[in-house]
Amino acid sequence: MSDIESRIADTMLAKLREYDPSLGPDDLTRPIADLDLDSLDLVELHQRLERELQVKGDLKETAGFAFLDDFSAYFMKLASRG
Amino acid sequence: MSAGIVDIAAAKPGRTIDNDHFASIGLTDEWIRRRSGIGARSWLPDETPLAEVAAEACAPVVTRMDASSSIDALILVSTSVRQRIPGIAQKVAQLAGLRPSVLTFDMNAACCGFVYGLVTGLSLCEAGQARSVLVCSVEAMSRLVDRTDRQTACLFGDGSAAVLLEDREEFAGFCQVAGCDGSQEGLMRETDAGGIHLDGIQVYDRAVRRMSESAQYLFDHGPAPTVVIGHQANSRILEQVRRFTGHLGVPFVNRIESSGNTSSASIPLAFAAELDAGSLPAAGRLGAVAYGAGEAWGGVSVDYRVPRVTAP
Repeated sequence: MSDIESRIADTMLAKLREYDPSLGPDDLTRPIADLDLDSLDLVELHQRLERELQVKGDLKETAGFAFLDDFSAYFMKLASRG
Repeated sequence: MSAGIVDIAAAKPGRTIDNDHFASIGLTDEWIRRRSGIGARSWLPDETPLAEVAAEACAPVVTRMDASSSIDALILVSTSVRQRIPGIAQKVAQLAGLRPSVLTFDMNAACCGFVYGLVTGLSLCEAGQARSVLVCSVEAMSRLVDRTDRQTACLFGDGSAAVLLEDREEFAGFCQVAGCDGSQEGLMRETDAGGIHLDGIQVYDRAVRRMSESAQYLFDHGPAPTVVIGHQANSRILEQVRRFTGHLGVPFVNRIESSGNTSSASIPLAFAAELDAGSLPAAGRLGAVAYGAGEAWGGVSVDYRVPRVTAP
């Protein structure tokens, strides 16, 4: 796992663990609908990933994501553009 | 000399509405707390004039004033005054016991109103146009919301608070930042049918960004605040701003649990509550940041020395 991938995973996991500290890396692959996250949680995650990676994303795009993996791929792409 | 805050008083004369009240529209205490952090709010009786509520907040400050001092201006901030002609500033001045020769006017900048009122009052003091200025926010948001709307009914509360501004040798100058974007007016607005439309996702995103940026600006320009109070809109917004401003290393106030969103009154209500509880020292530098409908945003940092507080 690259440094950026690792930072994205850590940020997402920290968000998930706010509600359930027992969650682990395997839970990052579950559908968002199966996780205890509401719409504001997804905005919070979006903003935290922006801050972590120093990039600017499009909230309208990430609001429609069905999996946390989608966040990961999206922000990986943004970060790789520099 | 420079102007600062020298007295503060607040009033929440309504009845306490806890989250169980909203069971009738299908909302639970757990649901409301998770999405807003709000546990209770105060709602004024519908028939209580807002001028009386504002005067209740102003009166202790007027009573405590040194006999040699003089309030030369009253800025009455509100987004929930329904009456257009006249405004209520003059009635508040009369009820609070101010002398007739005082500059009074109403101001509305939605949830950003207190910050804008503070900037205006501080400017009057520092320009030598007023020895003392009273800035009072009063809100009855319960009269604006659709009380059957599951999205907004539980969010808002009522209350009033007033601060007294004076020029003093001990104070450093205030610092302010402000902005607006009229193209975003649709994000939060009163609807024709009654009630408040709120684009929750966009408002959350923009409020966090604007308040975090405003706080950073205050630290980058002028003396650093010793405490930051953001508009008490929603605990989720406040906690994200706290996260993004944590590196500034000062307390960040979140008192929404017992008040709800009281629009322009939320910052002075939270400030009074913190001072009254002894959570903040009686002297320091306040950084106030706000985001509201319009859209309007801004921040102001100002010294304070407040030996006495009246809090609800």
